[in-house]
Amino acid sequence: MNRLLSRLAIISATVALAFASVAIAQQSTGPTLPPEELAKQQQQRTVQQPYNNAPTWDKARGAVAGYTSIPGVETGVLIQDGGQTWRALKNGTVSVWGGWAFVAMMLIVGAFYGWKGTIQLKEAPTGRMIERFTLTERMAHWTTAITFSILAISGLILAFGKNILIPVFGFTVFSWLATLAKTLHNFVGPLFVVSIVITFFVFLRDNMPRAIDFKWLVTFGGLFSGKHIPSERFNAGEKIWFWGGLMVLGIVVGVSGLVLNFPNFGQTRSTMQLANLVHLGGSLIFMVGALGHIYMGTLGMAGAFSAMKTGQVDEAWAKEHHEVWYDDIKAGRIPAVRTKSLTAAQPVGGDD
Amino acid sequence: MARMKFICDAERCIECNGCVTACKNEHDVPWGVNRRRVVTLNDGIVGAERSISVACMHCSDAPCKAVCPVNCFYTTDDGVVLHDKDLCIGCGYCFYACPFGAPQFPQAGAFGLRGKMDKCTFCAGGPEKDTSKAETEKYGRNRLAEGKLPACAEMCSTKALLAGDGDVLSDIYRERVMRRGRGGDLWGHATAYGVKASAAPAPVQPAPTQQKS
Repeated sequence: MNRLLSRLAIISATVALAFASVAIAQQSTGPTLPPEELAKQQQQRTVQQPYNNAPTWDKARGAVAGYTSIPGVETGVLIQDGGQTWRALKNGTVSVWGGWAFVAMMLIVGAFYGWKGTIQLKEAPTGRMIERFTLTERMAHWTTAITFSILAISGLILAFGKNILIPVFGFTVFSWLATLAKTLHNFVGPLFVVSIVITFFVFLRDNMPRAIDFKWLVTFGGLFSGKHIPSERFNAGEKIWFWGGLMVLGIVVGVSGLVLNFPNFGQTRSTMQLANLVHLGGSLIFMVGALGHIYMGTLGMAGAFSAMKTGQVDEAWAKEHHEVWYDDIKAGRIPAVRTKSLTAAQPVGGDD
Repeated sequence: MARMKFICDAERCIECNGCVTACKNEHDVPWGVNRRRVVTLNDGIVGAERSISVACMHCSDAPCKAVCPVNCFYTTDDGVVLHDKDLCIGCGYCFYACPFGAPQFPQAGAFGLRGKMDKCTFCAGGPEKDTSKAETEKYGRNRLAEGKLPACAEMCSTKALLAGDGDVLSDIYRERVMRRGRGGDLWGHATAYGVKASAAPAPVQPAPTQQKS
């Protein structure tokens, strides 16, 4: 398990670095020589070619701070040219690709619904219920889900409202909307970070990858063949969403978001530019994934939404979607009801 | 129509911070915000020290304007980049984008919560009615509407900092360069075209031929 965690940490670090390298690649337009060397050159030039300040201007363009009596972060920096790269990537590459990826995913989900509709159970429900999610699990899930939705909607307003909503609402009304979006985003953000950490530990045990997941993955859970592929309590798709979405994207978007949210730790502009690009790109990928997850949990699969709402699933549903888990419950390896108070209040028949 | 610009002559700036003080006084700038600042490069290194007064440069293709999520920036007919504080949401994007560090935010709450952005207005106020009370309270004095130029440049004791129509400023600066008899800050001129001996203030070594600029 430790080896697995360390591998996943390496993967997530690689993803973050890939984002970072894109942003930094074009940022190295600073001075070609060390500042002391440039100062020496300027001394020479003042004697040899008076009024030629080229070495000084070379220095002004890098993020080399001069002296200033004005207090604050980077007040001694004359020109910080990373902003130009940030502007190009933020308004261009990241927003354009990320934005269209989001639109494309909505179309894919729509097309998928047109193709499959809501996938119904093949067998009639038995009426015997199994507890799939405890109250703690559901609360962790819904706190994450609600905070995520607020952040996604407010984030989309801030990122794309300029192009889409200003022509509709006009400047003043959109400014109120954006103020609301920014305030919600900034205050709900830290809550989301806390809730993904809790959700991670709540669902960690049943999301460990197993050999059986590989089989599910190569056949997309039997989506195209129509064959039944057994899975554990969580199938490979759900596990990918857990590790890739909740963990990797959670860390990428969460950490970059906290950097942006608390500017009172003396972050420089280059840090903020990088954090913003990582946050924008990462959150758009997160939203693309979430569209798929939300679709499967609501419209796509009958019984999935009520499972997370009530915590209960029918035995037929469990057998059809998570057979290994169902067999374990039947064999008594996993208790059918894990909530203790619930057992006492209303005994649910699991073995009749 | 005039195209308003700033020029700061590094040969003249003596780092007195008169421009900074003039600006703060003229506009009652919010606490913690400095619309203008003087930066000294190679501070204390004889023969290499140069000072520059920097504020919003009112860019032609302003990065702040390009990244603002609520489109609160606008460029006046004079080429001055102004913003509407009623629309500003305090997101900080303009500050990330600006190469000169011009946009600044008064702190509005704990954890560095940003208030409405404040920056140099070229003494041209904001979108409200010229010289109205609302405009003065939000953006400071509108000197351009009064037929005056920015206070910082007016105050500059050595006339290092010039503000006004770009064509007029170019003429003044060109004349200075001609009087100096050298390329001045037109980078690489002295190296490319040689140095006029008569204008040299001190004995000049022949420029080494291998030196690049």
